[in-house]
Amino acid sequence: MSQAGGYVKAMADDGYLLELKNVSKSFGGLVALDGISYGVQKGEILGIIGPNGAGKTTLFNVITGEQKPTGGRVYLKGEDITGLPPDIICQKGMSRTFQLTFIFPEMTVFESVWIGVYSRFRRPWNLFFSRADRLGTVAEKALHIIRTVGLEQKMREIASNLSYGDQKVLEIAMALSTDPVMLLLDEPTQGVGPGEVDTIINLVERLSKEMSIILIEHDMDIVARLCHNVTVLSFGKTIARGSCEVVSQNEEVQRIYLGEKMVCS
Amino acid sequence: MQRERVLRYFAVGTLVLLGILGMVLPTGARSLTIQIMIFGIFAMGYDVCLGYTAQCSLGHSLFFGAGAYGCVLSMIHLKVGLLTALAISIGSGFVLGVLLGLICVRLSEAYFVIVTAIIAAVFHLLAMDLIWITGGDDGLCVSIPPLKLGFAEVSLYQPQANYYFVLFFMAVSYFVLARILNAPLGKIFLSIRENPKRAHFLGYNVTRYKLTAFVISGMFAALAGALYAVTLRYTSADYLSFYWCVLPVVWCLVGGLGTLVGPWVGVALMSLFQYYVSAWFTYYLLLFGVLVLIILRVSRKGIMGYVASRGVR
Repeated sequence: MSQAGGYVKAMADDGYLLELKNVSKSFGGLVALDGISYGVQKGEILGIIGPNGAGKTTLFNVITGEQKPTGGRVYLKGEDITGLPPDIICQKGMSRTFQLTFIFPEMTVFESVWIGVYSRFRRPWNLFFSRADRLGTVAEKALHIIRTVGLEQKMREIASNLSYGDQKVLEIAMALSTDPVMLLLDEPTQGVGPGEVDTIINLVERLSKEMSIILIEHDMDIVARLCHNVTVLSFGKTIARGSCEVVSQNEEVQRIYLGEKMVCS
Repeated sequence: MQRERVLRYFAVGTLVLLGILGMVLPTGARSLTIQIMIFGIFAMGYDVCLGYTAQCSLGHSLFFGAGAYGCVLSMIHLKVGLLTALAISIGSGFVLGVLLGLICVRLSEAYFVIVTAIIAAVFHLLAMDLIWITGGDDGLCVSIPPLKLGFAEVSLYQPQANYYFVLFFMAVSYFVLARILNAPLGKIFLSIRENPKRAHFLGYNVTRYKLTAFVISGMFAALAGALYAVTLRYTSADYLSFYWCVLPVVWCLVGGLGTLVGPWVGVALMSLFQYYVSAWFTYYLLLFGVLVLIILRVSRKGIMGYVASRGVR
């Protein structure tokens, strides 16, 4: 990795995979995002940190199409995806998890992942009358993803019966099921027990070899371990960006995270 | 998987039983069973809407009435055969389903309920007023042309023929719907019921699939309406009344949402109750309401939902 101006380049620079240009979002008079610009490269893990209400989740909502930005553009693989609905953006290769677990409560782990995989294999002729359990490739891919995240023991369990940590892992599996090139994780370790946190960190590390990841995270240790670059949001503005070391030395960041020690290993 | 198997055995068992009953039932019970089978089709279709995609429509009387009128009017004015008339009915259910669905399915829960109910009420009033087409409250009588099967002609005036005619459509409806719900489409419906926003983020256009479910259920409601009109050789504006909006909700709740065949149990229970209890107690619906409350208090999943989930353990 070469270091240029404190900004670590994770891979060869052949354009950004995801690029935001001056993205803004306001709700009435409240400005939630104020001119956010940055790019994510292939294979990069970008951390987004910031205090509560800084606009981190709003940023995800705007990127993935849940909310339309009031200004600015979003590009995925150089293609303008601003304001497209979530299902189209998902098909273009971007996938996300949610801060609070957001699963199909009454479906099994296998079915939940299967649904996502199928969205990429959907054709008019297999939609109505083919037997869902006989679509071999879809089932195989779903199995592969479940093995990747390590839920194969609990494949037949109803999602709402899983432990909270497993539900978080299932969230990631469902996000993976649509075969994304860009994965957005909204606090994947929030509220998860210590043993399971390591599982999730290892999983994210492995996934980063195949796709770019943006990670919203509160725990600075995790950010320092995982992320190549960090962006700090506060009141909808980017106040610092760069590698973890650079950001942690920033005075404003230290002021916001007062009392919390930022350690970068 | 186990749950599905319980429901499938129940469905096939019921169909076989109905096939046998057709030969032994006395006249009164047979016509009651015909009615139950027709309502069973209506209820199955409605379950696709309420049980599989969680759209509580109060507009299905429109489809039921449109099916009945589509069948009767095409037989009176176009002089078409029986099967063509049924096809026209299903077609009218499809067209109305698309039109009504395009207006309604985008709406969120309570608004969806209200708007479907209002539209159904508007069509009920229209049917009452346009007497020159619909016959209003007096309705229209029709003579049913014989069923041409190529080698033979069967008259539906013969009760047993009518019975097996309806049973045939009930079985076909069940197998078609079971196939659709076991196909990827059914899984997508389930995911939308469970969490529409998540399904949207997994790449599914939720509105389009909700519309699909709505249209499918409308088509089966129309088929049921047509069969009902054929059986009674009569239709009236009353088939569009609010009564027919509420009935399928009750059937599905009692029988078990999202079980497809559970609503049959709801239909049977309600029809039998109506038939036997109303004879000695005018306010039988009051009793039935209490019964519904008790059933739902014991199991929120309804009768078949309860049985099927017991069968798993």
